Amino acid sequence: MSTTHSETSASSNLSLLLVRLDDAITQLAEAPSFTRPAKVPRVLDTARRVMMQEGGCAALGERIVTLEAAGIFAGTDWAEPQILVPGFTTQSLQSAQAELVVIEALSELRMLAVACGDYRHTLISAEQAHHFLTQVLALNLAMLFSPPSEAQRETQGRLAVLPQNLLQHLAERIGYEHIVDKLIEEIWRILNQRPIQTEPVKQMVTQIAICQVNPDIDLGSSGQGADRLVSSLFGPTRACREDPGVAIYLERLASMDATALQGEATGFARAMHDTGLVSPYHPVLLRHLLDEGDHLVAEAMGLSSTGRDCLLCYRQLVQALIEAAVHPQTAQAIYGLALVLERGILYQPPVAPALWRQLGLVLSDWSCQRLALAFGDQVPPQAHLIEGVLCMLGQPLGVGQGNNPTCQSARALSMWSYNDPDYLLQMVTWAARDDEIIMHFEGQPISSSESVGGVASSLPMDLDPVSLLVVPHLDRIYAEMGRRCIEREGDPHRWVNPEFHGWWSGRGFRINVDVETGKLWELDDFLRHFYAAYHPYYNGNQPLIHPQPAGVAVTDSAARFIGWHAISILRVALDPQDVMRVYFYNPNNDSGQDWGDGVVVSTAGHGERFGEASLPFEQFASRLYIFHFDPLERGELAQVEQQQLDQVSGYLQRSWGADRLPEGGLQASEGATGPG
Amino acid sequence: MKKDPNKGYIALLGWSLNAVEAAEKFDRRYVVVAPDWAEAYCQEHDIPYVPWNFERLNDRSMEIAQTLKDMGVDVSVPLYEETVEWAGAINSVLLDNPRLLGQAMLMRDKSLMKRRAQLGGIRVGIFEEAHDREDVIRFLKRVNQTLLKLDGDPNDPIHLKAFDKAGCLGHRVIRTPDEVDAIPDEEFPSLMESHLDGWEFAVEAWIHDGKICFLNLSEYVTLGYSVYVPASPDLEQYRPQITQQIEKLIKTFDIEFGMIHPEYFVTSDGEMYFGEVAYRPPGFKVFELLERVYEGFNAYQATMLVFDPKATTEEVKAYFPKEVVDAKGHAGCFGVYPRRRVVSQLEIPEETEDHPYFESHELTAPMEEVVTKRTAFGTHWGLIYFMGDDPKEMHRLLKRQEELDFYV
Repeated sequence: MSTTHSETSASSNLSLLLVRLDDAITQLAEAPSFTRPAKVPRVLDTARRVMMQEGGCAALGERIVTLEAAGIFAGTDWAEPQILVPGFTTQSLQSAQAELVVIEALSELRMLAVACGDYRHTLISAEQAHHFLTQVLALNLAMLFSPPSEAQRETQGRLAVLPQNLLQHLAERIGYEHIVDKLIEEIWRILNQRPIQTEPVKQMVTQIAICQVNPDIDLGSSGQGADRLVSSLFGPTRACREDPGVAIYLERLASMDATALQGEATGFARAMHDTGLVSPYHPVLLRHLLDEGDHLVAEAMGLSSTGRDCLLCYRQLVQALIEAAVHPQTAQAIYGLALVLERGILYQPPVAPALWRQLGLVLSDWSCQRLALAFGDQVPPQAHLIEGVLCMLGQPLGVGQGNNPTCQSARALSMWSYNDPDYLLQMVTWAARDDEIIMHFEGQPISSSESVGGVASSLPMDLDPVSLLVVPHLDRIYAEMGRRCIEREGDPHRWVNPEFHGWWSGRGFRINVDVETGKLWELDDFLRHFYAAYHPYYNGNQPLIHPQPAGVAVTDSAARFIGWHAISILRVALDPQDVMRVYFYNPNNDSGQDWGDGVVVSTAGHGERFGEASLPFEQFASRLYIFHFDPLERGELAQVEQQQLDQVSGYLQRSWGADRLPEGGLQASEGATGPG
Repeated sequence: MKKDPNKGYIALLGWSLNAVEAAEKFDRRYVVVAPDWAEAYCQEHDIPYVPWNFERLNDRSMEIAQTLKDMGVDVSVPLYEETVEWAGAINSVLLDNPRLLGQAMLMRDKSLMKRRAQLGGIRVGIFEEAHDREDVIRFLKRVNQTLLKLDGDPNDPIHLKAFDKAGCLGHRVIRTPDEVDAIPDEEFPSLMESHLDGWEFAVEAWIHDGKICFLNLSEYVTLGYSVYVPASPDLEQYRPQITQQIEKLIKTFDIEFGMIHPEYFVTSDGEMYFGEVAYRPPGFKVFELLERVYEGFNAYQATMLVFDPKATTEEVKAYFPKEVVDAKGHAGCFGVYPRRRVVSQLEIPEETEDHPYFESHELTAPMEEVVTKRTAFGTHWGLIYFMGDDPKEMHRLLKRQEELDFYV
């Protein structure tokens, strides 16, 4: 009886709220344009209360056409659904600002109406809307299936019910099977870039595992592709298939013979190299195998003959690294170590001794605190740092900047790891032991502890262990170098980039934007020069020797300018389809980005190595605004066909260059073609 | 809305977005007369606009009257206390009726207003002008002597009000001579009144051709905090007596047209005491509340209508709903004051938000963390709106809000 009563009161509550909502919508719709903004808050607030009720989202969905017609999205980014990015929804839906949560939720309900064919929208198709929603659900899976996190509860309070109601409503209408498959696809896409930071991916895999065992969720035939992901974390081998816990697994190891151990080693190695994820059981095995002989150790890391050779040459060092840094809490260290061995960088004379120094390094109190704060204190901070060092040396292209504006520092770390590993180890030592890094700018020393501020306004926390300690120093030094160029004419990167990154950054510098006016400048020469320096058909088929810093104008999926971004060009080569592509490193955490106008950065399937991003040469050139070159190398401009250049400047003018055309336009731009 | 050139052309004196919206949706031409800070906004949104800075009436006053007259404006409507005398001055030119200015000046001076009411045979409490603190102490003593209080008995309070401010601005309650010291110099001269133990309520009356065409009773739950319309049956039972009082007022003040907003006390023996009257829309969003309960009724449009010399009796009659019976419920609002000294965020109490009567709020996040101490009645931080069928529940609900924290 009592449930019936509360249900009736809830539904009468909802119907009362809906009367209020309809009232508010009518007022908004009938208001003259100048009082509309004043009417919006009431609509949003009432909509919020509706969506917090059971069945509220469905009721709002029925009104979404009226709501949009009344102008609820007018004047906001949500007015153009075609440019919305699913990745932003997580932040909006978890915001403490109720109005932001509500308008985001309304936008999703609009997508749903469009996707289900209930709403024919002029700006977005049903397929697009459906695709958008599956991504939203995949990205917000945690909110869908788990009760609000402590953090969310803290910021949102009662409001946290709203995103959960919304996501459940969306999932019921879209179908859970779409979400899980989409999520799996998304995870693989990210894993293909082999990031150093795997925690977010591990969380998503855990979500899928939870879904699979929940009898209330019918996944249908979906989720098949999740097995490899889930097992690689929770049970990659026969002896830990049922996820027994590390203590029991260790007991089982004690009673295994060589054949059984061999089987375990192979199983772990395969899971690790398939996914880039390391199971917490894996360290238990590897430590156990240290007493069982080199063969099994090599097997457990899945080493090729190169890696095995390296292991045998540096047996003691490897053993010391495993003992210090490989724990269930620092499992990724195994993957890093395996790749370090495979890269053969231990054969560079300074690297092995530098790693010995790393093993004995006494960290400053500050460094210990920062590491413990970010990664917990179950294992010593030194272990986390060594794990970080191994991962960075093993996966130079897996460095990510986190949610911080420090792309230059992340790029430098990646470049040093790739190109100059002992220099990187030197930097880590200075930062971790001395809390100070000194670099030189045109002969003058710059100390990170004396420089005032960096690009980032607060200390970043969402980073890998090495970046966590080193980036704050690099960031301040980088900013200081910039400050020392303030008086100079032109773009400071001309001087800062070579001094900051290393001698191999070309001292020659070319930019296609006039710093004073922000307008495009000498575009034609800029492009011809870029072709001559980088394109194998125009530079005498010379492969790029060192990674080179470059600057790109990043655009959003509607090809609108977002900002300047630092990347490094790694190589230029033909892909398997014989398209000339630029392969580059993007310090952004996910390089697979849609830059609009058909320019979609690829991270796999076009000959990319793990962590590389790529674009066809012309498309890349269209987003490039800064590059470096060796001024002593051939200086003449490439005889590039006009048609090819027109294609590039077409892409450029349809995106970030649209409002940067110099007066009188670009020369020879009539021949621009449509998107390729 | 399409404008009818045969109907009046109306100037709104003062800036009120709700009034402009109502005018925009009404069939009469209008122009906003407001200080020049409104200019950019009006231009951006194509709102007809004449700049004017309302200060005290001065020798330039004729200028604005002439400007409006040249534009063909028929009448001006005051939206705020400060523009009442301007409307009087302007309308005396537009309507060629010099008496209107005198009438408006009367409405702007609380002391003159009371004397006039008294002359018209309307009951008022004991009142006097105060020029300094001594006057206040003398009045406090005398009122309490009249009440046969002995030394040491708790005093009956007196009220102190600025002569020419709207509503609760500058309204103080004084009980002891100590409290007199807290009155700042700039609040003098002001009006002192004896306290009437009774039920205070307000009336909004629309008048056309010297007759009442709509009379609303606004019931205060707590003065300065909350009000709802239409009033409870307990107050509505006095409607015939109140109507008589308003008719007396119309006669005494010689009001031919417009919208008046008087306040009264009704004492336990059913006697009405006149408090004051304003010739402009009430504060506290009573207009908006009326819109909520009377479908299709807009109090600003109603005001423009009764001011319009071209409006016909039939049109006026057709526009107004029937008091109380046509109302689809009771609408109330509560003015929120922060109760704590230090606040960091806005948090609508769950019991408020979950109440079925709760409709909407216009509170915003706090701008400052430390709440300035309230002087006199002060200004609230924003209103919350309720709507429901049961006046008793409305009354209880509005009262209850006083005990809740909206800013924590």
